[in-house]
Amino acid sequence: MNSINDRSRYIGEFVPAADDDMLICRCEEITKGEIRKAVHDGMFTLTEIRRYLRTGMGLCQGQTCAKLVKGIVARELGVSPAELEPVTSRAPMRPTEMKVLGKEVKEEE
Amino acid sequence: MKRYDLIIVGAGPSGLSAGIEAAKKGLKVVVFDENAKPGGQLFKQIHKFFGSKEHKAKIRGFRIGEELLQEANDAGVEVVLNATVTGMYQDKEIIVRISDEMHHYKGDAIIIATGASENMVTFPGWTLPGVIGAGAAQTMMNLHGVKPGNKILMLGSGNVGLVVSFQLMQCGCDVVALVDAAPKVGGYGVHAAKVARTGVPFYLSHTIVKAEGEDHVTGVTIAEVDEKFQFIPGTEKHFDVDTICLAVGLSPMSQLLKMAGCVMEDNPKKGGQVPICDEYGETSIPGVFVAGDVSGIEEASSAMIEGRIAGVAAAKYLGYMDETELKGKVTELEHALESLRQGMFAPKNRGKAIEETEEGIAISKNLLKHGFVADDEIERFPGVTHKAGIHPVMECTQNIPCNPCQDACPKHCIKIGEKITSLPAVDESVDCIGCGMCVASCSGQAIFLVDETYEEGYATVTLPYEFLPLPEKGEKGTALDRSGKEVCEAEIVDIKTSKAFDKTNLLTMKVPADMVMKARFYKRA
Repeated sequence: MNSINDRSRYIGEFVPAADDDMLICRCEEITKGEIRKAVHDGMFTLTEIRRYLRTGMGLCQGQTCAKLVKGIVARELGVSPAELEPVTSRAPMRPTEMKVLGKEVKEEE
Repeated sequence: MKRYDLIIVGAGPSGLSAGIEAAKKGLKVVVFDENAKPGGQLFKQIHKFFGSKEHKAKIRGFRIGEELLQEANDAGVEVVLNATVTGMYQDKEIIVRISDEMHHYKGDAIIIATGASENMVTFPGWTLPGVIGAGAAQTMMNLHGVKPGNKILMLGSGNVGLVVSFQLMQCGCDVVALVDAAPKVGGYGVHAAKVARTGVPFYLSHTIVKAEGEDHVTGVTIAEVDEKFQFIPGTEKHFDVDTICLAVGLSPMSQLLKMAGCVMEDNPKKGGQVPICDEYGETSIPGVFVAGDVSGIEEASSAMIEGRIAGVAAAKYLGYMDETELKGKVTELEHALESLRQGMFAPKNRGKAIEETEEGIAISKNLLKHGFVADDEIERFPGVTHKAGIHPVMECTQNIPCNPCQDACPKHCIKIGEKITSLPAVDESVDCIGCGMCVASCSGQAIFLVDETYEEGYATVTLPYEFLPLPEKGEKGTALDRSGKEVCEAEIVDIKTSKAFDKTNLLTMKVPADMVMKARFYKRA
């Protein structure tokens, strides 16, 4: 197992900070404090943070906050941001309404 | 499902360049772009580009975009706009949103040229309306003709922050300060100098403490930071602003590549998540190539060359070109690319503290700290000379890949030599005719013509001027020095505009003789 993801590793207690109420993910309105707490709740990967809090799941699909969230999580874990596995990329890469997604065109060959 | 030989995602400088090269070899090429207009960031670039002739130096970015579009059109490249590629799958299949329908396409080869997105920084109030990216400011001004704000603070002293600050002033905004947490100006010194001499103060080792305002930005507080980027108490400074512009770097938009299964790396030197690729831009998936910022943040000139390399490599991959032809083409292109990657700002020199130029001259510390070369530093550079009568003074003090001034002089009195990054030197044996071609050719607006013996007690300084409305001949105003400080009264004795100058106007102002090496900008009364 990747040592970063070793949940038995002690990362210290959650220490409240003055800027915990700062919005990081604007689309889903998630604060820095919520992200930091989530790490202490055991969410060590960006994918888990995403599923737990919905950071980067809104309209901009993480275009603005992905790098910020990564930095916060890395700092909380005491690792370099480059060491964290990035979140999964999957289609649709841009927000697409269901009615559009369901309207597939059969092109002529 | 519709098929193409080559599908390109992104119609910016690299995508279009790739399409042109591939279509010229006979490939059936389509380029998809999610925007309503092609050209990527090129059409927002109203400044003259750096480089040499082969890099289209001294041509303004949007004109390079127009040329590229024409070339793509002539080569038969199909460009589909308002077409968002939302997915890329194995076997080179993509899904594209066009209006309210989803279309599937398959390419025998794919080039991803999706570019980059702007980074953000957080501070209390960063979500207030009025905090915008520098790219957004450019889009508003240069694509839509909308003034982003009246009083603006710029965060970031890289080339984007510097160039956009200048454009904001051209658009009529008041740039109250240029701020960067780093201890040194990140972008080209010449870009910094042209902003500083208009009077914009630089605050290096400073960053934003908070943006103020209830429902929109009404002010901003900055403070100095120490080496660990922690605020130093008591150093706070407040500015009344309505807009805060952020130019804090770019991140590659590489999600499609990751989705398709390309091997990726997180490379801070390249700006973030990028695919591992070879010299041709081919990723770990054969036939899937990358070009431009998505493969590592650089600038438009290198993106165009990378695009051409990926385009010919895709042609070779599909058998439209043999190995020999590929090698020949790529060697030439790589030479052009390599020359852009030289000098103090080369990717390999990122983060290095450079003390001396390639010529062994101590670099200007003041330029890095305050955005302008100090009076006691300027004389040591080879472009700065003195003689009777009119002659050029080239305040080009860093090794950057750029040489149009050398070809601009009809008398060949400017020498750069073979090495494109060398500082320009003046050949004092040749007489300057005062035509001003060098002044207009300098993308960094760093060349001035001075006549130290204009008339008894007075000298003239001819400077590049890109603000409207133009002053009138005979009017009197104030001369500013390199720092933007008012130094003396100045009278406009000549204004030259010419098609050959491409919208850079030449303003000649008369100043007291002792101000000839200080006065570098003209402020209207």
